[in-house]
Amino acid sequence: MQTRDFLKLAGLTIAQRILPAPLLAFWQQAAGAAAAGRKVIIVTFGGGVRKAETFSPEGLRNIPRLAALRPSGYFYRNCLNEGVLSHFNSTASIVTGNWQRVDDFGFEAPGSATLFEQYRKSLKAGPLDAWVIATNKSFAAMGASGAREYGLPFGANVVLPKQLLLEAINDIVKKPAAGDLSDRGAVQQRLETILQEGYEGVGWTIFKGGRQMDKHVRTTLTRAMGEFINGPEAPTSGDELTFFITREVMREFAPRLLLVNFWDMDVAHWGSYSLYLQAITKTDRLTGMLWDEVRENPKYKDNTTVLILPELGRDGDVNTANGFLNHRSGDASCRNTWLLALGAGVTKGATDTPIRHVDVAATAASILGIRAEGMAGSPAKEILV
Amino acid sequence: MPPPHFDFEHVPVTFAAYFNEQLRGWETLFPAEREYFERLGAYLEKAPAELFAPLAALEPRMGVTPKSWPRGRFTLEQVDFLNRNALYPEWRRVITSIFESINPALDAAVKGKPRLLIVLGPADLPVGPDRMWTRIKGGRRVALQVPEDVSRFGPMLLDGLADRCAAARGPHSAWVVETGETLGAPLTQATRLSYDRLKRYRGRLMEEVQKIAEKGEVRGPRQLGEKLRTLSPKDAEWAGDPVMAEFVRATLLAGNGTLLVNNTFVEWASVQAIRRAKPSFLAAGFGIRNKVKPFSSLLIFADQDAATPIPTTADMLGSYVDLEVFYQYVWQEAGKYVEYRNNTAYLFLAEGMDEMLCLAPPDFTLPGGLLPLPALNRACAEWLGV
Repeated sequence: MQTRDFLKLAGLTIAQRILPAPLLAFWQQAAGAAAAGRKVIIVTFGGGVRKAETFSPEGLRNIPRLAALRPSGYFYRNCLNEGVLSHFNSTASIVTGNWQRVDDFGFEAPGSATLFEQYRKSLKAGPLDAWVIATNKSFAAMGASGAREYGLPFGANVVLPKQLLLEAINDIVKKPAAGDLSDRGAVQQRLETILQEGYEGVGWTIFKGGRQMDKHVRTTLTRAMGEFINGPEAPTSGDELTFFITREVMREFAPRLLLVNFWDMDVAHWGSYSLYLQAITKTDRLTGMLWDEVRENPKYKDNTTVLILPELGRDGDVNTANGFLNHRSGDASCRNTWLLALGAGVTKGATDTPIRHVDVAATAASILGIRAEGMAGSPAKEILV
Repeated sequence: MPPPHFDFEHVPVTFAAYFNEQLRGWETLFPAEREYFERLGAYLEKAPAELFAPLAALEPRMGVTPKSWPRGRFTLEQVDFLNRNALYPEWRRVITSIFESINPALDAAVKGKPRLLIVLGPADLPVGPDRMWTRIKGGRRVALQVPEDVSRFGPMLLDGLADRCAAARGPHSAWVVETGETLGAPLTQATRLSYDRLKRYRGRLMEEVQKIAEKGEVRGPRQLGEKLRTLSPKDAEWAGDPVMAEFVRATLLAGNGTLLVNNTFVEWASVQAIRRAKPSFLAAGFGIRNKVKPFSSLLIFADQDAATPIPTTADMLGSYVDLEVFYQYVWQEAGKYVEYRNNTAYLFLAEGMDEMLCLAPPDFTLPGGLLPLPALNRACAEWLGV
């Protein structure tokens, strides 16, 4: 019999006698969190950023919001990615709790059950209670695995807002008569058309009514898209769109489990350090705004744990192919980043003790009060004591 | 000239595959690369089995079998096999360790000769010399006498250097890589690469990439690279030079933003030239990149001018930030190779700026006082012996 099966049968009274006090406290904490309907938001501060430009003495100026939030949360100075250094595999490792080695560009689903599937199956949560909102357009398969007894029926809703935007822009570029790109009205109109027409082709996976988009979902997202297009700032960024959609989903559906994937900083591949730094600062701002929403939204305030981490770093400046442009070298700059935990149940502090990417899903599972199956990672008890 | 033949039966298959892949592209290698692989091949043929023992032990643990990895085969399947393997980090460490053992013997055969790298920033950077080259450690600042007409700065500095070096040491031994067309304009013998002059070829590549992406014919960047392997710069000046044609194609397609950003092209082409051709003389001339436009910037392979009526504007400050990093990358790339160690003078300048940063061996001498550009040019020529 496995230890945890034994504990399940024995219950807390017996567990109190056989478990070390810290572990027992941790388990009780997790059980309490579940009872309180705790919510979890995982934010991948991506796609690919080094410590050098973030939580280093010279990098802090790029992330004023996170730097200010750090003392109010628990900070891991070392967060290790020991898996494949592609965006899809790295993020899939975070949401499954196992190092994923599938297709780098999202043509295969994760090989083991995602946190979304485990959560929904375990707690019989509804289809609108777990979402993935991703800037990276190759993340359509991030919401559900190919694992037996799991899969699409238990997966998360996956929304790829940037892909939607790209389709709209592409369409307008090809058809000048439809208006040019400075005409926000034309873009909005096209976006709405796409939402009405065929969302599957542009990265939607909505698990309701036989994969038909729910009217409420469509209305909500169309409105959010319009607000984005007509917003006060020139919308140059897929991450801005991801934030707006995320906020709408939080306000309308209040899911308990949410993965938000920011990705703009992967512009580093273009070889512009300044654009990379701008993207970092923008992501910092958007992450700060997301935290503001958590604190101000009554459905999230005081019951939500936010886990923020880069899915990978980028190559170091020395002895690599081309420094910050890439993220495949496997050096420490690429593999070792950081994690900041904020919100409900999180104690204040910081540690040099490493946490691994595969520990994130296990931690989130504990917070949600589910028994995660088959995860290589372990719950991060430091933040939940 | 056909590639040399080596007996590599005793070399573990994942290592031999890398070497054989290089031999397959023999006709597109620079002379410096051919010399290196001939040295490496000869060394490996006689290398003791102990050198490869850790790799030979690791390969079965990685699942390398004659079926998963037939000897002599190296395709995208093998690349994916390595990338996704749980033991990939260990494999990289073992490969690095093997090269650390090999390199001293290979490096010992290289004869040093004076080399010169000139990195030239654009005019219009919004900072003074005190904010330039901040990532380069060491060196000395030298006051320059600059011409009133800034456009003459680069030509006066380089005046004839590249061609004289190419005449003395071969066409691939002297390179001028630039965003614009001014530095390389008078060249007749040296290797010249210009982002602007490659506009037609870049446009053709971007169209092809866009078409392929729209058709959904490829799964990822590696497959895309394979698909575009045959798309050589037929309409560019390198049509008759397979080595440079392949270099240009690879630089534009394997260098991330090189198709899209002028300075990225100059940086990556310079780094690749240093890594592969090991030129004695290289001048890298950077420029100002354009600002990213709303919306159309998301369509990275679309023609940015055609995609939006918003006027194209230069990003001075952004270019300055970008270039501070690129100066460092070009400089440190040369430092990785024995050909450049202890015998290379590095000059960092910017058009119109009255100060330069010089890192050089003690025997690279400059006249004292305010230094006119022709005098600097003469000092460089004397250093190179051309």
